[in-house]
Amino acid sequence: MSSVLKTENLSFAYERINVLENISFDVQAGDYVGIIGPNGGGKTTLLKVILGLEKGKGSIRWFGTPSAQFKDWWKIGYLAQKSPVSQSRFPISAEEVVLMGLAERCGSGVSVGELKSIYEAMQQTNTRQYVGKLFHDLSIGQQQRVLLARALVSRPQVLILDEPSTALDASSREMFFNLLGELNQKHGVTILLITHDTGEVGKHISKFMYIDKRLVFFGTKEEFCHSPEVAKQLGAFAQHTIDHLHNRHGHCPLGDSCVECHHD
Amino acid sequence: MISEFLSYGFVQKGLLAGSLVAASCAILGVFLVLKRLSLIGDGMSHVCLTGVAVALLTSANPVYVSVPVVMISSLGIMKLTQKFRIYGDAAIGIVSAAGLSVGLLITALAGGFNTDLLSFLFGSILTVSWTEAALCGGLLAVILILLHVFFRALTSTCFDEPFAKTRGISVQSVNTVLVVITSVAVVLAFKVVGIFLISALLIIPPVSALLVSRTFKQVLWKAVIFSVGCVWTGIFISFMWDIPSGAAIILMNLAVLSSCFGWSKIRGKQHD
Repeated sequence: MSSVLKTENLSFAYERINVLENISFDVQAGDYVGIIGPNGGGKTTLLKVILGLEKGKGSIRWFGTPSAQFKDWWKIGYLAQKSPVSQSRFPISAEEVVLMGLAERCGSGVSVGELKSIYEAMQQTNTRQYVGKLFHDLSIGQQQRVLLARALVSRPQVLILDEPSTALDASSREMFFNLLGELNQKHGVTILLITHDTGEVGKHISKFMYIDKRLVFFGTKEEFCHSPEVAKQLGAFAQHTIDHLHNRHGHCPLGDSCVECHHD
Repeated sequence: MISEFLSYGFVQKGLLAGSLVAASCAILGVFLVLKRLSLIGDGMSHVCLTGVAVALLTSANPVYVSVPVVMISSLGIMKLTQKFRIYGDAAIGIVSAAGLSVGLLITALAGGFNTDLLSFLFGSILTVSWTEAALCGGLLAVILILLHVFFRALTSTCFDEPFAKTRGISVQSVNTVLVVITSVAVVLAFKVVGIFLISALLIIPPVSALLVSRTFKQVLWKAVIFSVGCVWTGIFISFMWDIPSGAAIILMNLAVLSSCFGWSKIRGKQHD
């Protein structure tokens, strides 16, 4: 397994208030990391800092290269919680939005290969029916799926998602998480996902990262679920997450290997 | 009548320079409007007054003096918003007020410039020289080349700046280039419509095009057609009725905007 993203002593302060403090972790290729933590704990800020949208202190390495020297941004797909243009009447079609996932390339034309990539990404996210439609005419959930296609169009090796399912209905959410699971399992795409929906995504996630300004926990799902020390250390939120993983949806993401479920 | 109108050398120069600068302003304006920076043209035009006043005081060419003055001011607006986290509209207001007050101060100290200054305030497209027309052509050529090469970076930056950054696009460089080129366009445009009306050339054609377009490329070419069409009809009307060309051009733009607004309403009702 090779390192995809490694941070060392990552810190960020906004107007002298510490938002992130000395965060160090190493995400390996093929990991599916669920980032959890309380509101205001710095989860979104962490993603912004590792993507270079905010300038923090400390070391960030993408695929072994310091982020300042990293050039292969196509390897990283990003989907924000909410599109900054979701309320505006920007005159752009759904497929033009997907093309922006290849924005680092020059020229105003679109090659045949790029067109193929666009339609593949739209097929994957079940958004081909929106070709030719204005982006701002789509519902928020439909826009979010188009934006996922934009994140996928460059065939990234890492996907970074910030609470992507907030605006999705139940069936879209299931399709969305199944797709992420498939990308991770079949194509080896590394995923970092901020979520509060631990029950639904729990069955796909391989590791948990708990952020509350500091990195409180980073380890496998099994360690997270079965360690009483973790529950004790993390308090009510972690216990709620564990309860959610085990009970809420009537299935346990650990399957038959889960001692607690079988014990219950 | 039209052949007589087109036979005059000063009209030919005016139409050429006016068309080139109108096309440049329309393209730049689309990006400025979508980035909600459209009032930057207004701020820059006020700063133009300082450049014009200095040029008239020193008997230099106002265009050559105004270009660096406006460029520095526009970069100042960007610095204010980025470094000091001042809102964009407030930063434009500050730099605009500074430019206007310095310009008025120089004018007062010099004892006024009478008709020379008035021609810059209200435009004098029919006094454009061939050199200035060539500069307008050069500006449009640079804009078209940059648009072709960096089309994706520009649209992506306008649409979703954070995502553009994650593609490795230097959003700050894109914004700086956009603002610097707009500075040059603003200076070249003051001969066409005058300092007071420059921002209208940057705002009205893109807004009209946005009302009646379904793709980004449509917005760009429609804005150019509206803008250039209004320059031609505006100059013709000004020639026919002996009225100021700048005002005629902007009134034509407003007429097009009203038509586009009406068209978008009708289309909207049809879709409903």
